[in-house]
Amino acid sequence: MKPAPFRLERPDTVQALCRALAKHGDSARILAGGQSLVPMMNFRLVTPEVLIDINRVDGLDYIRLDGDVLAIGAMTRHVAVKESALVKANVPLIAKAYEHIAHVTVRNRGTIGGNLSHGDPSSELPAVAICLDAKFVVSSAEGNRTVRGADFFNGMFETDVHSGEFLSEIRFPVAARNQRFGFEEFSPRRGDFAIAIAAVALEMNGDTCVSASIVHGGVREMPGHMTDAEAALRGKVVSSEQITLAAKATVSIEPTLQNYHGDAAYKSDLLRALTARALSQAIGEG
Amino acid sequence: MAKETHFLEMSRQEEQPRSKYNWIGKSMKRVEDPRLLAGKGKYVDDIELPRMAHAAVMRSPHAHARIISIDTSKAKKLPGVLLVMTGKEAAEVTGPTASFASPPVTQYAIATDRVRHVGEPVAAVVADSRYIAEDAIDLIEVKYEELPPVVDPRDAINSTGDAVLHPERGKNNVAMHRVLKFGPLEEDFAKADHIVKRNLRWSRVAGMPMETAGAVVDYDEGTGKFTIYANTSMYNYVGWLIAVSLKVPASQVNIIPTLAGGSFGSKLFLHKVSTIAATLARAVGRPVKFIEDRMDNIMSSDNHASDRIYEAELAVKGGMMTGLRFKVIDDYGAYLQYGYGTHGNALSQVTGPYKIRSVGMELTAVFTNKGQQGAYRGFGSEVANFVLERLVDAAAAELGEDPTSFRERNLIEPDQFPYKIPTGNVYDSGNYPAVLKQAKSMLDYDGWRKKQAELRKQGRYVGIGVATCQERSVFSSTEFWFLNPNDAPGFTLTSSPEGIQVKIDPTGKAFATINAPFWGNSPETMVVQILAEHLTMNPADISVSYADSDAGLNGTGPGGSRYTVMIAGAITGAAKKIKTKLLKVASHMLEADVGDLELADGHVSVKGTNQKKSIPEIALHAHYFRLSMPLEDRELTSGIDATHVYDHPFTTMPKEDRSDLGVFYPIMGNMCHMPVVEVDIETGRISFLDYVAVHDAGTVVNPMTLKGHIRGGTAAGVGTAIYEHLHYDEAGQLTTASFADYLIPTAFEVPADVRAGHVETPSPFTEFGIKGGGEGGRMGAPAAIASAVEDALRPLGIKVESLPISPRALRAKIRESGQPSKA
Amino acid sequence: MNKIANATEGTAIETIQINVEVNGVAYTRYVEPRLLLSDFLRQELGLTGTHVGCEHGVCGSCNVMVDGATARSCLVFASQLDNAKIETVESLGRVNALHPLQKAFWEKHGLQCGFCTPGMLMTAKELLDRNPKPTREDIREAISGNLCRCTGYQTIIEAIYSAAQEMQGVANG
Repeated sequence: MKPAPFRLERPDTVQALCRALAKHGDSARILAGGQSLVPMMNFRLVTPEVLIDINRVDGLDYIRLDGDVLAIGAMTRHVAVKESALVKANVPLIAKAYEHIAHVTVRNRGTIGGNLSHGDPSSELPAVAICLDAKFVVSSAEGNRTVRGADFFNGMFETDVHSGEFLSEIRFPVAARNQRFGFEEFSPRRGDFAIAIAAVALEMNGDTCVSASIVHGGVREMPGHMTDAEAALRGKVVSSEQITLAAKATVSIEPTLQNYHGDAAYKSDLLRALTARALSQAIGEG
Repeated sequence: MAKETHFLEMSRQEEQPRSKYNWIGKSMKRVEDPRLLAGKGKYVDDIELPRMAHAAVMRSPHAHARIISIDTSKAKKLPGVLLVMTGKEAAEVTGPTASFASPPVTQYAIATDRVRHVGEPVAAVVADSRYIAEDAIDLIEVKYEELPPVVDPRDAINSTGDAVLHPERGKNNVAMHRVLKFGPLEEDFAKADHIVKRNLRWSRVAGMPMETAGAVVDYDEGTGKFTIYANTSMYNYVGWLIAVSLKVPASQVNIIPTLAGGSFGSKLFLHKVSTIAATLARAVGRPVKFIEDRMDNIMSSDNHASDRIYEAELAVKGGMMTGLRFKVIDDYGAYLQYGYGTHGNALSQVTGPYKIRSVGMELTAVFTNKGQQGAYRGFGSEVANFVLERLVDAAAAELGEDPTSFRERNLIEPDQFPYKIPTGNVYDSGNYPAVLKQAKSMLDYDGWRKKQAELRKQGRYVGIGVATCQERSVFSSTEFWFLNPNDAPGFTLTSSPEGIQVKIDPTGKAFATINAPFWGNSPETMVVQILAEHLTMNPADISVSYADSDAGLNGTGPGGSRYTVMIAGAITGAAKKIKTKLLKVASHMLEADVGDLELADGHVSVKGTNQKKSIPEIALHAHYFRLSMPLEDRELTSGIDATHVYDHPFTTMPKEDRSDLGVFYPIMGNMCHMPVVEVDIETGRISFLDYVAVHDAGTVVNPMTLKGHIRGGTAAGVGTAIYEHLHYDEAGQLTTASFADYLIPTAFEVPADVRAGHVETPSPFTEFGIKGGGEGGRMGAPAAIASAVEDALRPLGIKVESLPISPRALRAKIRESGQPSKA
Repeated sequence: MNKIANATEGTAIETIQINVEVNGVAYTRYVEPRLLLSDFLRQELGLTGTHVGCEHGVCGSCNVMVDGATARSCLVFASQLDNAKIETVESLGRVNALHPLQKAFWEKHGLQCGFCTPGMLMTAKELLDRNPKPTREDIREAISGNLCRCTGYQTIIEAIYSAAQEMQGVANG
């Protein structure tokens, strides 16, 4: 299973990267970690004429505290994100998600930006990004623009990175002291892509939930808010009964992403169970 | 059935089990390992020949279609392409691949006018690199006329017209329909006080070794000879069939085995890759390497496993199981390379370790538009084990009995061997109660039952499973054909031997040449241990090599857990001849009668004295000093060497009417697997809390490697039971066509500790009493896991009748039972 | 010039020059952009210890070290690796001088067919480089991205655990 021929560009700087992107437009794809792209190329499901290898571009690999935002460079390897003390301390939901992401070898080369710009609905990070309303910095020769999480994922494998652009940074809000987080996933084997994901971020006032962000992943073409579940918790004491009600409210999400490992009925069941568990997880750490 | 001692008269056993061995029974480190660990093992893709070119095949995207036309013109023009060949073009010079079915089913390695499964090759390309070959494939234009895909085996029975895959075979897709009866079946069901009924489904999986199949072929135009390097087996048994396909005399094909990176039955013959590579090499005038990529292997390697639907019944009277009958539909896929052997195989132990005395089977074998079946670790018997054990569990549950007590009462007793089962096969020896007892004790069965009761009160779903299963070993070739139609039995071969060549060189080192390949089993280590035992030599002084088909003796190869038993027999025969020679030569050197000599510790000595000669001394003398020994002894030749071909230790012909299938798989191992599982009823996830596997494989040559088969086989069984499925949709598309969707268990999915126990009832038929254990845990694990999951969900009344018990499928059953989520 | 570039007479296939160090030996090669690292190692350099099992990044048989971290060599192009340091199983030990990991696999029966073994060994080496005293759970986690069809993993975990102890014992003098 060998890939089709392509030309390789190897820019060393962001400027060179932007030039290459502008030059090749739609006929180029960015090669970051390669853990998602190269299998597709080996299957010949994608056959780009040009690959732009951005592994040599300086300055895209960082984790920085920027006020109330944790800024992560798109080329930061999964392994670095997973082991980062800054991430654990400031955006604990990312750390929780990383317990489910792939395997050591894949995490060595795979990048957070590569994963997010791939837009795979069965992946963990898009759900986290939506849950936290992360911001995506999309760059090009024309400069930078910032995209809200909700606008970044447009469909299965479709993100708001246009021809000639690249994702350069993702900005996650730093967790507030009154926030609680939970992440639950079901995959057939440990490390596989998720059949269903529930990611939650709760803003608490004592035992009462001020606002809830409860997000599904792996069940539709893009992750999204489970608004009925959020409503069930808003302004309420987060008791186990309330958690049960919120979980039941996930029934309004219709799973449209189905395959052999998960049909709609199963994914609905999973969403309900995972949401309850994620909420319990979040509260349990009170 | 009464104990049938007369069978023992047929025993050719020369070496009885001993109480003390030098090498047998030792967990010796494997001699194969150093080169494998250092990355120096030579697998087929490591073979590189000068000017070697690379091949790839174009795979059909359709499940069922006529090939209307193939335009290869653009592909041929691509720089670096040496040859493009369609199936029709290949068929002009190469005939169909071998079929062991009767009547045979015609299959061409590259489809000619019709494709019958997704992934079937329709054209091949040879190029300077595999990359270019695949580029060329993208340039081949094929026009197909799609035909109706047949996917559900029940539909296959009623297929008509264009949906019939092999019109020359019949009006529908039924390959065979056969009814067999053994023992007083009607009487047992009429007199039963309880009849258990289950409908059971065993889904399609495959061996999936980490290394795919492949061949590198060098065609010498000068001599017309093909040299085929392949990770194949049976090249010394039926390798000449490749020559038949290539339309050359058998003397024009030499097959050289490479190390195989796993097989589990899938590399049993590999006629397809060898035939394709050889055809291309002959046409292109350069050596050709054709290695399946993973897609080729999953879709088109001709090695899918049993795919069966059962309606099964068990008759019970007074708490004893009497009769077993079932209707089975087996979905063989698009072709029928091994005939119905997987059902014949199952009949060797279809009644399990129990005293069931009658059996009825109605088999409908069908063709569908899927990859064809081959062999996978169990070859159909693991399925029969599953079916029987589900019935046994059901009987115990319906009668309100503990499943282990119910089994215990029904087990064949230790003093009843050799035991003939209703189908005619014989079980050579065993102590089934001891195996069950040890398993229960190792697990602390009573302790777990108590824990289970407490955990259930906490709302947890924990189950204890039990499966007591047979692991037959050493197949007889009669099972390949005795289910064929009486008017078309096919090639009714009755030999399945194993040969070995042994020599001792002038320096006293032993060289053994075997006629079967390395698959991940441990043939070299087995040979070294057993030969060292016989010749009282140091294992370090013995080396093992692999004969190609030119130089080889008849050797059937690994499969059906036969190899260690058979090579032990071959070694015993050869060692006897070697020992005779050693003693004879030594008798001249020591000037003593042969009768006064003994071989021990690598020396031949005059009994009761210090006079001795070492094997190296004797060997040097034998090789170089003929004139120092009596010339009148015309039988005394220079050197020390012997060959021996060992035939099946105990097999008999089936009756003409098949009311008795003869003895065909008598070297009978036994196992008891007891998993403890917990089911998360909200997600369907199954976790292992404990796992005990007790195996009886007779005399054990190397306990460490046997444990490897128990645990490795159990892991494969976990995959079959829960994670793996070759799933075709209604259009015949394989939805689990890569490792992303075909889920092989990782280190997390297998039990953390498969606690392996050991009972030993030597065989009275084999050398040293060895029994085969290669198929190992896979024979019993699926049955045991199903048992455990059903036990876990007993409070919900859920039955496990279908494999795989994927989380999705299990959750669906839980949902249907009316159990909501906790939420 | 490598074979793949040469083979196609008459067309200019752009090749990329890479200077790589493989198992301590420096190489300069000209590679087609799409040449996978697995094929570069096996075919160009003749280092056939690294095995190819799936070519879509799942099985781990092709694991090698790139700049000190394991990588799926079927998912990296050789052309990406200018100035990289690569280590394959051949760097671990030789038949007569096996690495403690290899010795432990031998002792504990951590292999049967040997096909997944090189990738497994590189993963194990990386684990012990990063965590010299892993628990069995740590080991299970580390090897969860390497498929083995033969052993059932238990003896592999025991081998790595045992090697870690041996290496710690040696390290502690």
